[in-house]
Amino acid sequence: MSNYGTFRSTPKTLPIAVGVIICISMFPASWLGWTSDVADLVRVPVTPFSHVGMLVKNWLRPAVQPFDLPSDEQERNELAVEERDHFRQLFHAEKLRSIELADQLRSMQSLPESALRNPRPPLVVSVDLTGIKPSDRSGFIELKLAREALTRIIEGDIAIVGRDIVGRISRVGLSRMELLPSTNKESGYIRAAIVPAHPLEDTRPPLLAEILLTPTGEGAFTSEVPSNRGVQKHDVVILDDPSWPICGRGLALGVVTAIKQLDEAPLRQIITVSPRRRAREHPHVVVLGTGEEDQ
Amino acid sequence: MNAVVVIVATVLALAFDSSVAEIFTLRATGSITPQAMPCLVVFIALFAPGTAALFVALLLGVLVDISPGHGQLMGGAHLLGPNALGFFVSTLLILKIRNIVFRRKILTISFLVFCAVIISAAVQAFVLVTRGFMPWNPPAVGGGMGEFAKLLGTAIYSGLLAVPLGWCFLATIGIWKFHSPTGRKATWR
Repeated sequence: MSNYGTFRSTPKTLPIAVGVIICISMFPASWLGWTSDVADLVRVPVTPFSHVGMLVKNWLRPAVQPFDLPSDEQERNELAVEERDHFRQLFHAEKLRSIELADQLRSMQSLPESALRNPRPPLVVSVDLTGIKPSDRSGFIELKLAREALTRIIEGDIAIVGRDIVGRISRVGLSRMELLPSTNKESGYIRAAIVPAHPLEDTRPPLLAEILLTPTGEGAFTSEVPSNRGVQKHDVVILDDPSWPICGRGLALGVVTAIKQLDEAPLRQIITVSPRRRAREHPHVVVLGTGEEDQ
Repeated sequence: MNAVVVIVATVLALAFDSSVAEIFTLRATGSITPQAMPCLVVFIALFAPGTAALFVALLLGVLVDISPGHGQLMGGAHLLGPNALGFFVSTLLILKIRNIVFRRKILTISFLVFCAVIISAAVQAFVLVTRGFMPWNPPAVGGGMGEFAKLLGTAIYSGLLAVPLGWCFLATIGIWKFHSPTGRKATWR
């Protein structure tokens, strides 16, 4: 007599369960949307432990400091103030320019003025990481649901660490959010520009080249660039993509880490761009929320 | 089998794999990371009753499939199946050989974890390739020698992780309330 009456009484349950899983695994992606909700619910008991694990991980193995940033605290603060003033000036200049362009556009299209006003500045929300797939450098990252800013964070919002873009919010679920690192293949092509790392000490033009970045899925980007632009290693690649939220324009996507001559096109080079910071190496990221506030 | 212990171990294993495991990641060698979940699957496959072990393996695989970064499709959807079927097949094979191995030896658990990671990956690849043959799905991409080397590294690393984890599992085997099918604990080796 068996000791396991419970399982013996339902001998066909196992083959049925396996059959169902096999069928589900063949479903098209559009039929599997419900799995994200299931994942939200199932991750509820796991997330607190995972969150603690991430804190322990970041304590034991902190992120590596980017090589081109000063390590001294005071020097870094001075640089930050200097940059803030510089970007404030740029912002004002751009604002004047945008008003001028908006006037021109309005006169051409006869649009109401309200349609051309700038959106509100993004809400800066610090969000903790609660889960990653450590073996995948470009894999999706699970974020804690920031309830206080739930309505302000929407899909497509940019996540940054320091002044580096680390990805975009790909989903805001019931109990968590998901971040798609910018190096993930699903991010698609990204329009960017290459600028010198230290423009004040560099004799090269402030804008070296405009490029189209291709995520490799292995934690980096590649792109082609004309050989005569003088692109060098450690040059900074900044976002210049109209399909991304406007608040992210000018933020760094990475630095040029390798330049290789293309044999089949001698006038072009292929460059590798690596992010200076990765979300998975930090305990939290800052999300530039662009959603509307709940009334 | 004590369901509460299995649930607690599952939650801890899932949390480990999606956070603490990063501590052990070998970043210079393609982010090779050990996995705790195969250790749990192998331990349950070695000691739990056959049907229960298969059910638990299937369930644990589904939980891994919906973990962050696994089987991710567009729109936040997850692909259910690759890990579930991988763990299921691994458990099935372990059930076939568990009577002829020294189950209470950590080395056995370690070696079986190595094998389970390889078998699970092979099943995952089979599921993804088969899925890619379906006219409504995009063809499967990826693989190659680099991926294979990474898989081997992951399997070896997980086997090493199974040494301390296996010791923990064996030290707490009493609270798991496993029973041999014949009711005789003497059959455990």
